[in-house]
Amino acid sequence: MDLFLQTLLNGLLIGGVIATFTIGFQLTFGVLHVIDFAVGGWVVLGGYLAYYMAAELGLDGFLAIPVAFVLFGMIGYLIGPVLYNVRNSRTARPELMALALTFGLFTLLRGGMLTAWGFNTHSVPTALSGESLSIGPVTVPLIRVAAAAFAASIAGGLFVFLYRTRYGLAIRATAESRQNAALMGVNIRRLSANVYGLYAGITAMAGVLMGAIYSVNPEVGLRYTLFAFFVAVLAGLGSVGGALVAALLLGVIEAFVSTYVGSSYSLLAIFGTLFLVLLVSPRGILQRGL
Amino acid sequence: MKYRWVSLVPLIAAIVLLALLPALVNNYWLRIATGALMWAGLACSWNMLGGYAGYINFGQSAFFGLGAYTSALLMGDPLSLPFFATIPAGIVVTAIFAIIIGAPTLRLRGAYFAIATWAFAEVLTQFVNVVDFTGGIGGLNLPPFLDERFFYFTMFAAAVLTYLVTWALFERSRFGLKVKALRDHEPAAEAMGINTALVKLQTFLLSAVTASVFGSIFAYWVTFINPKSVFGGDITDQMVVMVLLGGLGSLWGPAIGGVGLFVVNRLIWMNWGDTAFYIAILGAAIVLVVLFLPNGIVGLFAKRPARSGTVLDKAVNRLAGGEGGHS
Repeated sequence: MDLFLQTLLNGLLIGGVIATFTIGFQLTFGVLHVIDFAVGGWVVLGGYLAYYMAAELGLDGFLAIPVAFVLFGMIGYLIGPVLYNVRNSRTARPELMALALTFGLFTLLRGGMLTAWGFNTHSVPTALSGESLSIGPVTVPLIRVAAAAFAASIAGGLFVFLYRTRYGLAIRATAESRQNAALMGVNIRRLSANVYGLYAGITAMAGVLMGAIYSVNPEVGLRYTLFAFFVAVLAGLGSVGGALVAALLLGVIEAFVSTYVGSSYSLLAIFGTLFLVLLVSPRGILQRGL
Repeated sequence: MKYRWVSLVPLIAAIVLLALLPALVNNYWLRIATGALMWAGLACSWNMLGGYAGYINFGQSAFFGLGAYTSALLMGDPLSLPFFATIPAGIVVTAIFAIIIGAPTLRLRGAYFAIATWAFAEVLTQFVNVVDFTGGIGGLNLPPFLDERFFYFTMFAAAVLTYLVTWALFERSRFGLKVKALRDHEPAAEAMGINTALVKLQTFLLSAVTASVFGSIFAYWVTFINPKSVFGGDITDQMVVMVLLGGLGSLWGPAIGGVGLFVVNRLIWMNWGDTAFYIAILGAAIVLVVLFLPNGIVGLFAKRPARSGTVLDKAVNRLAGGEGGHS
């Protein structure tokens, strides 16, 4: 029973961190109508930023969080309009070209990181690494609790921004119908740049947390892209609220399969579930997809 | 656009040259030529769905791998079937899987299909990694048969057949028109009475099965396969780059892109070995082609640029609510 509770808690904590970047992923799909394969690349880059700040400058891993947000926010802000242009270009199949573009971006990031930093795995040291927290019979690493708390505040802030501000309203309106939003005076192009920037920044921050919890190497990007897809499919593409639920569910599934079956089966289980959902209820288990 | 018999002369010359190649070059170059033919064929298989029907398949390596593993398993103990008997078996296995994935997901928007195929390829890789009968990460050995000419001609025949079928089906038949119609405007194609779900599934099936045949030949050729060498995501990446580079939805684009990129691949391999840098080059190539050369190399030589903004297109788009492609 203790093991069960511990696994459940671990899964929920990881799911919380996953939720941060999958919410951004859903938002990007809603606004840009692009599935971003590069999501895993941003996560890993965030982790590497934290690793190098710790290794080269001797800074605590957590200090990388604001740096990651600003740096990748700016990079995303520059990439957003490019994606927007391709998605709305007059080629025969813009949806396909945009998909190919993010796929190419992801491949470029992965190859570039492998070339520059090799296949080695690095861990990100933080003040909380190695500490753990006991709640009754359950012991969890403190870093996971801190990461989940931080992730929850980001997600909370994002929801407040989306549902309580005028700009958030504009984003949601654009996700619902681009044409109507444009008629209401929303500058879709600029909004796309902002949303992609926001999303890239948040994703890189989540990458710092993931790097601190696990470790970072260029190949794990694939895993995070898969996580984002899993959540997107379960929640229904574009559904922001569903993403939170689906991410927590993903964390729990992963934790239970790793603990009770074996960690080499966890990816298989995730893919299997993803695949089944696509077959049985393709618009997401919540039927909220676009 | 009629093909005059004169325009067939370079094609026939190329085929004759390729048929005589084993007499002209040594085994080393013959191996490279065999690889180039395989990639030209694989790129063409991806192009059937990606280029003609407009549905991106990020899991094509799964079908390549299914063909390879089916052949390897049937040729090994205890069955020891002859090679050519394993190709149809690979086709059947691949077709079953393709229907299971394609039938539900091809009805949805392209994005879901892309995710589903990608996920399927990864599931299959993970599955092959963990179960015993496939040899796990260690892979499988096939009975060695070291006749470069045999493999060259087999690959040659497969590639020629692939292009012939593509030409006949997609460039010269009603089926091809249906496929292109649904790519350009799916609701309009449906309104014309085309059973788009069926046409897409047929195209997907053909594409998957073609990749599987090349997988079978590849396995027998290299005599040793493991999950990374036949299921690896890099295989799909490479097909995507080849098609985009050569020209999406054209007959010769995949051949040009396939042979061109494979030669680049070998040059890099000769000079720097098996390097991660190649992955970066693939990625950069996709990005650059999408941004600056959306019609590929073939598009550079087209007499008139491939247009999508015809008057009819615009009218239909406006009626359909016109947010760019239909969504």
